[in-house]
Amino acid sequence: MGAILSRMLGRLWGEKEVRILILGLDGAGKTTILYRLQIGEVVTTIPTIGFNVETVTYKNIKFQVWDLGGQTSIRPYWRCYYANTDAVIYVVDSVDRDRMSTSKEELHAMLDEEELRDAALLVFANKQDMVGAMSAAEVSDALGLGTLKNRQWSIYKTSAVKGDGLTEGLDWLVNIIQGNEQ
Amino acid sequence: MYTLLSGLHEYLTRREEFYVIILGLDNAGKTTLLERIKSTFLGVVGLSPDRIAPTVGLNIGKIDINRARLNFWDLGGQRDLHGIWEKYYSECHAIIFVVDSTDKERIEECKETFEKIITNDEVEGVPILMLANKQDLPNSLKVEEIKEIFNKIALKLGARDSRVLPISALEGTGVRESVDWLFIRIQRNKQNRPPTFK
Repeated sequence: MGAILSRMLGRLWGEKEVRILILGLDGAGKTTILYRLQIGEVVTTIPTIGFNVETVTYKNIKFQVWDLGGQTSIRPYWRCYYANTDAVIYVVDSVDRDRMSTSKEELHAMLDEEELRDAALLVFANKQDMVGAMSAAEVSDALGLGTLKNRQWSIYKTSAVKGDGLTEGLDWLVNIIQGNEQ
Repeated sequence: MYTLLSGLHEYLTRREEFYVIILGLDNAGKTTLLERIKSTFLGVVGLSPDRIAPTVGLNIGKIDINRARLNFWDLGGQRDLHGIWEKYYSECHAIIFVVDSTDKERIEECKETFEKIITNDEVEGVPILMLANKQDLPNSLKVEEIKEIFNKIALKLGARDSRVLPISALEGTGVRESVDWLFIRIQRNKQNRPPTFK
């Protein structure tokens, strides 16, 4: 009864829970983005071993956001979290040109997974506040986003520490998710 | 026997898939068009135009006509994203090029962009439909005027089906006719660009 009631209320207020994963290499800024989205502040982070999970409500949609650790040794565990994912936010350190190819490999290995077949992809070309940051076009080229043919994707220039670009990216996600609902 | 039957079943129920790329300068109305195509053919309410932000990536729409599936790839139109377009050329069956008919200042840029597309070897022979969008606005160039501007490079189109049609993606006028025109041309071009099957 309670469940039904809460579902009806949820429908009335249009609240819907959406599952989002934030992935990317270590040091890309995933945790900073998560907390910037949730509390709107820059927190001091330490490398994530394991995961952080928070609920972020944006435009009447409840995002359950999983931020998974990005170090080489723990990347194999990402796949344990793939089921029922609506979208992946892939974070890239736009200054780290040396590891762009590693980032590309991890991205495509992830997208090849059956469980993520219908997940939308939002790429954050992060750390745009730093000198020498690659442009969105450069990052999308380096990541091989042009090879994605059956997946909606979008890339945004972001600066997690300044808070730039994050809501624009989320707006895109909201549109995609509301479009899929129909 | 089972293999034969299941093979036959697969053959009979398989569906042709075609891919159409939607190109044009930024703010031409590509995503608005995609949303309008979706609402016209699927009967769902598309994204309202005031919520459409500049595309930096890929939006996808799928519609079914006569048991065939048309997949639309709507790509970002900002200048530095044009490099991404080419990645989709080899797999497309048709191109829609959207022109902002009110943007007279950028019509030259528009022409150059169009020329670059039609002279690319990877899309040789692929049907191309130019849509003179925003016809709902009073100061928009009419189809005849746009044709005249683009006539200078029409020779470079080569042997392919092409046409210019007026639309208003915002109001939906001309959208169904445009897709119908394109669908027939895609069918005719099947020898040259065979469909994929699903």
